[in-house]
Amino acid sequence: MQADELLVLVAKGDQKAFEDLYGLVSGPVFGLVRRVVRDPAQSEEVAQEVLLELWRSAARYDPGRGSALAWVLTLAHRRAVDRVRSARAAGEREMREAQRASGPAFDQVAEEVEAGLEREWVRRCLDRLTALQRQSVTLAYYDGYTYREVAERLSLPLGTVKTRMRDGLTRLRECLGGAV
Amino acid sequence: MTVLFRRSEMHSLAAPYALDALEPREHQRFEKHLKRCDSCAAEVRLLREDAVRLAWNTAAPAPAAMRNRVLMAVRTTPQEAAPGQTALGPQPHPRAAQQPLPGMRAQRPRPSRLHGLLSPLAATTAAAALVVAALFGVQASRTQDQLDQERTQAREIANILAAPDAAASAGQVANGQSINVVASASERAAVVTPAGLGRPTNGRVHQLWLMRPEVQPRSLGLFDGDTPLLATDLNPDATSLAVTVEPQGGSPQPTSAPVVQLALNSVGFGE
Ligand SMILES: [Zn+2]
Repeated sequence: MQADELLVLVAKGDQKAFEDLYGLVSGPVFGLVRRVVRDPAQSEEVAQEVLLELWRSAARYDPGRGSALAWVLTLAHRRAVDRVRSARAAGEREMREAQRASGPAFDQVAEEVEAGLEREWVRRCLDRLTALQRQSVTLAYYDGYTYREVAERLSLPLGTVKTRMRDGLTRLRECLGGAV
Repeated sequence: MTVLFRRSEMHSLAAPYALDALEPREHQRFEKHLKRCDSCAAEVRLLREDAVRLAWNTAAPAPAAMRNRVLMAVRTTPQEAAPGQTALGPQPHPRAAQQPLPGMRAQRPRPSRLHGLLSPLAATTAAAALVVAALFGVQASRTQDQLDQERTQAREIANILAAPDAAASAGQVANGQSINVVASASERAAVVTPAGLGRPTNGRVHQLWLMRPEVQPRSLGLFDGDTPLLATDLNPDATSLAVTVEPQGGSPQPTSAPVVQLALNSVGFGE
């Protein structure tokens, strides 16, 4: 069964459907959260909270407004970003940067785990963006920076960053549209 | 920081919003704007799907132990009602969804007011804290008395879930009504969560009973919607749990046949 159908059953309290849904989405959820949060223990915490939140609020999913996986990943991304920002605010940033410097590069870790066609397409399409589009989009999505922080890091005016984000996403859509 | 936006400037926030790249105040303001601006709503829907494509190349197998923790937590976690429907269980606080859920490790600073509630649980398992967060993290504002009571109950629930012999079981009957139980024979206690029981009509109530061989059923309490009941001092020879519909206030002994019954042998009770 597809995630969309499973979510509808989960909303009715079907625990078996939730187990199946877990099988479908736990990998994407955990991977995305880990990409943003990076610290493995914290990533696991956030991913667990997201999966439990799926159970609790499955009734909020509206199939008319997009795919279930998109809904799930939007929620996961939101929670991951919340976590990474509060961690930064709490001054854990230096620690994280240190961990990042000493551990293997994240991309490398992810690559060992799974090397799918989709992964390859995303990379290829990201390469087709201009450097500023790519940096604006990835600093926000993968690293959890706000557009104001992105502007600061790239020494760009706010308006430029907003435009680069929009153009970057649109170009990604054009490039990936034919892929899957 | 005070940031004032003109309406035209609000339109330009669709892309940062789709990437979760707005600061909290802007995020709130933009969500308000979204309700009134059809073109932004349409653009956000599209850009959100684009942003999700960026997650295509991040999937990674979740740690194996996570599965059991989540599935166990699900058994004792009530669900929200669909928007527009009346909730059977505790109504989530509208703001709760925007707040990060409390996690499991107490040493990390948290913005949540639940910090105090969860910190005594630091020594218990992740699943336990997860469940407790779910049970108590989403309810509307409460009085100090209620908070104290919940804190005590949360600790007891966490103890049961963290017990080495904690086991879960679910009873299901044809009409979709069931109860879920997580019990520990060593703690002689159980967390019993109704699922789909709803509320009986005419002010009647759902009452939970402990059944033992050759002994009168013992009342374990009345269900309040889908809020879990904490059952303590369970007799080791207990054979099952049963739920009956009783007049308001409950009865000393069951006055009707059980609507749901669940055997306890799979969770370590009975001979
Ligand atoms: Zn607008």
